[in-house]
Amino acid sequence: MRLLPSGTFHESYRSDHALWQWRTGFTRVALAAAAVALVGLLPSYSSGYVLGVANVLGYTILSALGVQLLIGYCGQVTLGHAAFIAVGAYGTGIGILQYGLPYPVALAVGALLAGGWSVLFGLPSARTKGFYLIMTTMAAQFVTVDFVIAQYVSQIGGRGVAFSLPPGTIRMGTLVVDTERETYYLMLILVALCTAGVINLFRTRIGRAWIAIRDNDVAAEALGVNIFRYKLLAFFVAGVLGGIAGGFWVSANYGLTPEDYTLAWSLWLVGVILIGGVGSVHGVFFGAAFLTVILEVLKALVFTLADAYPMLNDRFLFVKEMAFGVAIIGFLLYQPRGLAYRWQQIKTYFKLWPFGY
Amino acid sequence: METLIQLVVTGVMVGSIYALVALGWTIIYKCSGVLNLAMGELTLIGAYVCLQLYLWGVPFPLAVAGTLVVGFVLGLVVERLALRPMIGQPILSIIMITVGLAFLFRALVGFIWGTDTRVFEPRVFPMDPIRLGPIVVGQVFLWSFAAALVLLVAFVAFFQYSRWGLMMQATADDEMAALSVGISARRVYALAWALAFMAAGVGGTLLGNINGLNVSVGFLGILVLPAVVLGGLNSIPGAIIGGIIIGVLQNLSGGYLDRLVPGGVKDIAPFVFMVVILMFRPYGLWGWEKIERV
Repeated sequence: MRLLPSGTFHESYRSDHALWQWRTGFTRVALAAAAVALVGLLPSYSSGYVLGVANVLGYTILSALGVQLLIGYCGQVTLGHAAFIAVGAYGTGIGILQYGLPYPVALAVGALLAGGWSVLFGLPSARTKGFYLIMTTMAAQFVTVDFVIAQYVSQIGGRGVAFSLPPGTIRMGTLVVDTERETYYLMLILVALCTAGVINLFRTRIGRAWIAIRDNDVAAEALGVNIFRYKLLAFFVAGVLGGIAGGFWVSANYGLTPEDYTLAWSLWLVGVILIGGVGSVHGVFFGAAFLTVILEVLKALVFTLADAYPMLNDRFLFVKEMAFGVAIIGFLLYQPRGLAYRWQQIKTYFKLWPFGY
Repeated sequence: METLIQLVVTGVMVGSIYALVALGWTIIYKCSGVLNLAMGELTLIGAYVCLQLYLWGVPFPLAVAGTLVVGFVLGLVVERLALRPMIGQPILSIIMITVGLAFLFRALVGFIWGTDTRVFEPRVFPMDPIRLGPIVVGQVFLWSFAAALVLLVAFVAFFQYSRWGLMMQATADDEMAALSVGISARRVYALAWALAFMAAGVGGTLLGNINGLNVSVGFLGILVLPAVVLGGLNSIPGAIIGGIIIGVLQNLSGGYLDRLVPGGVKDIAPFVFMVVILMFRPYGLWGWEKIERV
């Protein structure tokens, strides 16, 4: 029985360009089917707590995909992505509450709004690069969340600072999304669609253009890539992805406040892709899983230690931030290419075994 | 008219504190090319160390001196442990390591000192304001202004006249040439971080005397960024003038625009202003313009 080939050997351009780079043997299909069943049937064999964590994980993945696209593939460092997630969330929420749109339509509207808003703040990228661009994305964060949303958008409909979406408001036709179980399946669908979309986008002309801009913008321009247009397109797609993430989180949260979309969340997302690996879609999943799991472990740890040290409980936020800071510093110093690179190394090791190289 | 003068005067005084912190930021950027997003947390650490010393009964000037010493040592340690291994890494990694430091420092400060607003008790500066003709200025502002000015002059003199300052300038100008005449770039980087920690610590202490001290004083570090962008990243006079302009701008927009567009205009005005500046002068007022040719 042949388990795995000891390397990837292409015999035609077709196989070289294929999305699935491996041969579909029996083992592969069986493993994939088992994984799909394990993930798809999660609600039937696990507790609500696990589902809740899975939803947070999905939200982090959806949010970080856009950041990965901008930073990892187009080379435009952004520290304000939470702003676009917020626009998507508020667009979706207002669409449902004020205009009575069905959830999928509201989600699409929110995503497009976020995309447009993101393009607006991508405009300075025509003239600025590097650090100065980072500053304009940070400006996007403060202007959008702390000013426009906190002071004005929150007033729409006279609901006060926090919008509440009681269970039952989020419906698709006759289906009502009001439990963790439904949110979980919604999350699975959205993550699968967005990931597939992003992976395929990177294989097209557009994705190649982004990668060219990331690697050397002057050379890309010389090769006929319209840099400004492709940068704006990257901001648009990243904004749409952020908007989808925000719209999804509306369904999991029953409420909306500007405090969910702070600069800290933007930085957290950049941390996710750094820990996972910059320039890799796998990396988004690894990074999100790493940080989410670490956070839950910390919570459990603090919970057990809280009897002895009650101070830990009310200062948990700081424990979390400390862990995040240490994780980022540690990864940058000792694993600068992220978990995705480590994964690659492990795969290569098994592929070549028993030979060293 | 009197409101205008009043707002401008207070703005200049608060701006001088921003200038001090902006100066620290620029020193790091100029000498080692690190874009530091942890500046606000450096001010937090300095301010809380000073507060703690003061609450233990150390006289205020001595407490400030103690803050300077602690800042100097911490700067050296942080540079050695976190920043030196990152030399030559891409810009994103360097920025994110300062973000990691920022999270770590803020969490440490919050964990040790809690989230409540703390004040320097007993008050360091007398509470009653001073009248200068038509305008009224709190003594805290006046003293902070004086202290910030003294320190700014001291720092600039250090750069212009001392051997170490000249070494730092040489490294900022051309690292390779500086290395070849025997200047140790490593020591210059370490010194830059130590100086930045010192400047930030004093800035945080002064600000904490004005408004009381809590974790949100760290927002100062973000506010400093518009100042340095305005002045141009590698210009020391630019940082000082940028800091003062941002202080004045913040006060003016708080005084005038707040009535027209209610809500926190004061906090976001510097950022809007910065984006507009970047559109027209992408390298700030006195920054080095990078010309790219193929």
